Amino acid sequence: MKIALTGNPNSGKTTLFNALTGQVEKIGNWSGVTIDKKEAPVRKKWVAGNEEIIAVDLPGAYSMSPFTAEETITRDFVQQENPDVIVNIVDATNLSRSLFFSTQLLELGIPVVVALNKCDLNRKKGISISVEALSYNLGCPIIETIATSKGHNGLKGLLEFAILSKGKSQKAPFDSSEVDISNKEAVEASDKKRYEWVQGIIAEVERRKVTANKQTKQDAVDRVVAHKWLGFPIFALIMWTVFSISQSSVGPFFADTLVGWIDGFYAWVEGLLGGGIAPVLRVILLDGIIGGVGAVVGFLPLIIVLFFLLSLLEDCGYMARVAVVMDKFFKRVGLSGKSIIPMVIGTGCSIPGIMSTRTIKNVRQRRTTAMLTPFMPCGAKLPVIALFAGVFFNEAAWVGTTMYFVGIFLIVTGAFIVVRITGERGSRAYFIMELPEYRFPSIKRAAVESFLQAKAFILKAGTIILLCNATIQLMQTFDWNLNVVADGAQSTSILASLATPFALLLVPLGFGAWQLAAAAITGFIAKENVVGTLAVVYGITNFINTDELALISGGDSVAGIMGLTKVAALSYLMFNLFTPPCFAALGAMNAELENKKWLWGAIGFQFGMGYIVAFLTYQIGTLVTTGALGAGFIPGMIAVLLIGGYITYLMIKGERLAYAKKKALA
Amino acid sequence: MENLIVIVILLVIIGCAIAKIAKEKRSGAKCIGCPHTKNGCHCPSKPTKKP
Repeated sequence: MKIALTGNPNSGKTTLFNALTGQVEKIGNWSGVTIDKKEAPVRKKWVAGNEEIIAVDLPGAYSMSPFTAEETITRDFVQQENPDVIVNIVDATNLSRSLFFSTQLLELGIPVVVALNKCDLNRKKGISISVEALSYNLGCPIIETIATSKGHNGLKGLLEFAILSKGKSQKAPFDSSEVDISNKEAVEASDKKRYEWVQGIIAEVERRKVTANKQTKQDAVDRVVAHKWLGFPIFALIMWTVFSISQSSVGPFFADTLVGWIDGFYAWVEGLLGGGIAPVLRVILLDGIIGGVGAVVGFLPLIIVLFFLLSLLEDCGYMARVAVVMDKFFKRVGLSGKSIIPMVIGTGCSIPGIMSTRTIKNVRQRRTTAMLTPFMPCGAKLPVIALFAGVFFNEAAWVGTTMYFVGIFLIVTGAFIVVRITGERGSRAYFIMELPEYRFPSIKRAAVESFLQAKAFILKAGTIILLCNATIQLMQTFDWNLNVVADGAQSTSILASLATPFALLLVPLGFGAWQLAAAAITGFIAKENVVGTLAVVYGITNFINTDELALISGGDSVAGIMGLTKVAALSYLMFNLFTPPCFAALGAMNAELENKKWLWGAIGFQFGMGYIVAFLTYQIGTLVTTGALGAGFIPGMIAVLLIGGYITYLMIKGERLAYAKKKALA
Repeated sequence: MENLIVIVILLVIIGCAIAKIAKEKRSGAKCIGCPHTKNGCHCPSKPTKKP
């Protein structure tokens, strides 16, 4: 038996799906989180008999006349795949909006069971709904549910009714089958009638303490956090607080313990190996694998705490307000407000962020969003941020916060440029988003999300990063004649000879050392590799306790060990964050852009922006802090002028073409 | 003998890592160790191009 979970966006479909099936699909307190169907068997504990039930979670839809790609998936599924029963999840706090879609589902002839979800919120708000009267009017069973609750959540009853309804016919209380769907006016008139019919039912079954036109506390909060001027600084303050907790206080506290264990394990293995082991094998196992992977894993607590806090922000409803705040900036540069959703998803991982751009209808906006989403620092870049914030800036929270805002700045700048290159300046898209109600965030949901991120991080460290570190260690151990390089002569190694030409290009950015170039290159495999490679090439196992770092490496200061000034360190961080993402993300970009010209343009643009930002950071920073320009200013300036000049040429060309087109049309 | 044991340990570690990557790739992971990217994430099928 197959049941389809349908309903308006943010009505709790995926939460219900997760509760029924035991899956941990991504949920969020805002609309548009689910954009594809998912199916899984329902757990036996919810089903009374032996019935095998498959639940299908569908993206949210407002009506059967799809406006977005997600709504099309839902419509196509319920119309073409013949589910045995439709479970319509209705947000009990917003009945007037939800029932429009319910009445359309009832017309399909497939048995419908309504799950009146979020009943707990209704009680808190003093809203009462007569379930019997509503069920009588709609002509289908209605069960009150609380998908977020473990106890009396109504799920068992919901499935009982679903099983009983299987194979039965469904009567439609509002029938629009006679309407000619090719006649726009007739469809609009029918929709108006349907809406009036729904309002009539609501007047009969619902009693509210607060009327819709009365300002609530939520409205008062929204007037501040989504304010056109205050919204942005509030967002900055919140992000700073998040980074302060995750990178400066709570995160490092746990990281210190974890790093202590890793160091203990390193020492234990070192003791086991004894003195009779070949030095090559010793360095590969100890420095390459344990040291390199350990250096990355040491940042795990910081990542767990950060994602825990971000999940809380999302769950309480704040991230939806951020989308509204950012919409003002995005609209001005020709992006859709919908572009914000992939970028928020991209803070976890760029790949699902890039893939979710498919929901944007306009091709130019979709491609622009796909190429700019990687500018948002993803989870893989967090260890790099944490490393440089910890080692060079005393774990200052402003470093991480700044990286997010530089990312946003680059996205806005990038969109400003692209809209001119494509000659589509002036085209505006309107963004309509239903703001979810604020609620106390679920600690459990945030813990699950952090656990998923942690699991993924460990998996990556134990596979890709482990292999890369072992390879880097081998390349650093041998020269081209496959002789082991002498201690202190690593610059003759295979790795050094491959990385040195790239290092020369990076001199104007303040980091012309082959070790740093090698780390930046391995970052294209996975961004965490930057940390792992730095650990291997500098022989460091502990990036968390910087005092210990200085001690192990024998340097007199942290900056001395890596040969970087603070300004150069910031420049290196920006270069790693804002040049192209990892190859897997580039693969996702390739799939979504569907055009080689756009793909290579996007990669070139990302390299150009990363280079310019790093160059300006290093040169201006060095000028301010020392009173003189940094090394390699002239060649760097020539490179920056060439990049800037080419972009300007493309913009002028695009604008001229657009003007010529406009003139021809006129 | 000790060297041989270490070589075997290294081969086992690296072999496990490669096997895990191969398994993840076969199960449709777009990126190893990236959350929410398995089975094509939550994303809709790509729109088919109209002729």
